[in-house]
Amino acid sequence: MRIFFATDIHGSEICWRKFLNAGAFHKADVLVMGGDMTGKAMVPITGEGGTWRVTLQEQEHLLASEDEVAAMEKRIRDRGYYPIRLSPDEVAAWAADPSLVDARFKAEMLAMVERWMALADERLDGNSIHCVVSPANDDIFEIDPIIESARRVSLGESNLIDLDGFSLVSTGWANPTPWNTFRELPEPDLRVRIDSLVAGVPDKRRAIFNFHAPPYGSNLDNAPKIDADMRYVSGGQALIPVGSHAIRDAILEYGPVLSLHGHIHEGRGAVKLGRTLAVNPGSMYEDGVLQAAIVDLDPKRAEVKRYLLING
Amino acid sequence: MATDAKAGMAAAPSLFLRNATGLVKGWSGFDAFAYSFMSVNLVTLGMFYSLAIFAYVPDGSAIASIIVTAIGMTFMAIAYAGLIAVMPRAGGDYVWQTRVLDGIPGAVIGGAFGAIAVFLVGTALALGDVTTYGGAALGVIVGAFLGIKRGGLGFVLSATGWWFILALWAPIYGFILKIEFVQPMAALLGWQDGVNFFGTADGTFVVSIATIVITSGLVALGMAGYARIQRWSLYVGLAALAVMFLLMLISNVDTFKAAYDREAQSLFGVSNAYQATIDQAAAEPGFEYAGSALDAFGFGPGTLLLVPFMLFFLLYPNWGATLYGEVRGAGDFRKVLNGMLGGLWVTAGLAVVFVVLAANTFGWTFFNASNVTYVNYAYAYTTTPPPMPIWGYPPMLAAFLIDSHIVQALIVLAFAAWWIGWTGTLFLSSTRMIFAAAFDRVLPEWAARVSENRGVPWAALALIMVPSVFLSWLYAYNSDFYGLTLDATLVIAVTFFGTSIAATILPYWKKDMYESSPVARYKILGLPLLAVAGAVSTIFLSWVLFMWITNALYGIGIGNVNSMLFLGVLYGAAAILYVVARAVRRSQGVDLDAIHAEIPAE
Repeated sequence: MRIFFATDIHGSEICWRKFLNAGAFHKADVLVMGGDMTGKAMVPITGEGGTWRVTLQEQEHLLASEDEVAAMEKRIRDRGYYPIRLSPDEVAAWAADPSLVDARFKAEMLAMVERWMALADERLDGNSIHCVVSPANDDIFEIDPIIESARRVSLGESNLIDLDGFSLVSTGWANPTPWNTFRELPEPDLRVRIDSLVAGVPDKRRAIFNFHAPPYGSNLDNAPKIDADMRYVSGGQALIPVGSHAIRDAILEYGPVLSLHGHIHEGRGAVKLGRTLAVNPGSMYEDGVLQAAIVDLDPKRAEVKRYLLING
Repeated sequence: MATDAKAGMAAAPSLFLRNATGLVKGWSGFDAFAYSFMSVNLVTLGMFYSLAIFAYVPDGSAIASIIVTAIGMTFMAIAYAGLIAVMPRAGGDYVWQTRVLDGIPGAVIGGAFGAIAVFLVGTALALGDVTTYGGAALGVIVGAFLGIKRGGLGFVLSATGWWFILALWAPIYGFILKIEFVQPMAALLGWQDGVNFFGTADGTFVVSIATIVITSGLVALGMAGYARIQRWSLYVGLAALAVMFLLMLISNVDTFKAAYDREAQSLFGVSNAYQATIDQAAAEPGFEYAGSALDAFGFGPGTLLLVPFMLFFLLYPNWGATLYGEVRGAGDFRKVLNGMLGGLWVTAGLAVVFVVLAANTFGWTFFNASNVTYVNYAYAYTTTPPPMPIWGYPPMLAAFLIDSHIVQALIVLAFAAWWIGWTGTLFLSSTRMIFAAAFDRVLPEWAARVSENRGVPWAALALIMVPSVFLSWLYAYNSDFYGLTLDATLVIAVTFFGTSIAATILPYWKKDMYESSPVARYKILGLPLLAVAGAVSTIFLSWVLFMWITNALYGIGIGNVNSMLFLGVLYGAAAILYVVARAVRRSQGVDLDAIHAEIPAE
């Protein structure tokens, strides 16, 4: 059985489209999206007098036609940002009232997930590829039911999913971060949540963990240290482990065949923790590159046959 | 849901951000500068080598050569900062080269590289026309194969520049520690047996092994811990440098001569050492400085010949530059670039100040005589030992101006901060490269393992430590190996050369990637700044490589069979390793081509 695992695409349209095509391209039986699907930024495209103005990557663009605006919107979406058409007055109002921005962010995220699920239903129809999507700490809770309602997508969060005799258990909840995001739990509570999920797994050796946060001190969790003012320490050179102790302990205690992680975009790698292969494919969503892990499992021996970290 | 608005070029916000993991405010420009500054290390690299060889090109102008080199390196820094902005997080020669140098450009570059490499080795080893040209043809095929396959050329260039050659840097770091710290301290503390022991091959080997142990320990400490050491090293090192410059500024040749003669008599029993050093140098072939002064504002005919020497320290402003985080913009590109250029140009400026002060205080003739008498003996160009049995380490010479061995020792001790703050990057760089290759399955997975309790990459460390010990042994006991010091720079320059080519073609070969980046807005005469900087850097480095390989002045290249053999083994081993890895992985059902195969979006 071949699993294609990607994560942390943060709204990148091109990465999602690549993900949906990855099953056929890499002959995978299962697609797993590890969460943090939604974008972090909105880019206003300001219209006035028939022309549009947008600043992307600190480059200002003047757009004279609808085709140019559409092309720019695609470019913005491919980076994982949400293009928003606004009048200059609306931009000023948004700058003055954060609640307007929050409301629009929420609307954009929900619309994006709805569109993505529809695309998944369309693209995955007619084949036997199993697609699992599990939201994570940067994703609002309201996207869960949208994922659940998709015909060709299974919601990973808190569900036990059978994959050819292997049991996939997922959670996007993570240990606390400096950003205080949506799905964070103190380590003891996270461990309780994991234990309750794993309790339903009939054979722990055939478990596949899909836990967003990487295990602490595994090298999959090395992130640049930041200070209290959210600035990098030592020019980004000072890398520190920021993963979860609860997840590490759970892996070592239960010994699943495979453990899938994300969260730390810089932590690309694969390590063995006990008998478990733990992978974090990392993320370069802004570049439009889909980083992923391809893992072949041997159902008879409950082992990893081979794996590959790719930049697709 | 907390939000934030960023102003771009327009007065109105150009970006609205929500609260999410990974969104940070960047880093201080000083951090970027500090890292670059310690990599372009004035003391451990500059004073040890580049600023000690002026006597070998007597018609070259020292100051002009430093400035010309810094100008050339400015373009390389721009190219690297641009690549970092185009591919943040992914950063590093290995990733840039594997993602840009593929297809037809990759095949052409790989084929040319393979042909030239085999031809040079064949010529140097006098293998005969048939073997040399036949080998070059084979080099074209292998190089083109490695180039057309994403990952092959990048692996060869990066494995050699970021892994293999650092095994040679280990004994060089050790030698620097020996002559800049161990021997001066032994002398100043009156430990004559120590001075004598560390002057032997055994002493050199012992310090190299100590260096390998210290550097490995710093890797085990982790970069976060080492970053604190680096920060304090920077402060202590700069303070020591200020003291040194002040001492030199308030002194003159007469006071220095008296101080030097006093200390030479006191520490080593050598009489009239200042004049004896000049006299001995004058007796050695090619020394033409007797009675001459520093050509401070000139551009002598040999100036350009000095440039490849200057790269021994000015080649590395890009070392370790990173750009983490998301939703970054051109401001971050400028910050990275300013950090690199700050490190480069502040170092170049300090080097110029040092040269002027050395000429005014030590005396230009003596300064060069002191260096040439030691270097000629250390490199076995002569069997006559210098009057002073240890190298005239400039901070120690300046410290001689204070008549106190305790104070002198404290100054030399403070200068050790320049070594401590810089040496940790030696194996850190290697382990990162080994990890990247292991994750790409070119190396076995055990190469990326870390210890469970402290996260120490023992396997990766072993892969760099073992060859380091072997090369340290060669370096200590085989005098021919000293002559390969510049090869350590050459191999890294080849890697940077490959990256410069990647920067040149990226705006055209990977157009979408480039146009989505914050550097796309920067142009020169309508051409992408990244391509222009990459092209100038490519031309500059290719000229330097040509000089190193063809001019006997540098002691490496086709005039030195050992050098070409060494380089041939390095690049050959990397190519063979990659080809074997492909074959082994294929037999395991792992297709390395799949790593970089782009999945269609539609």
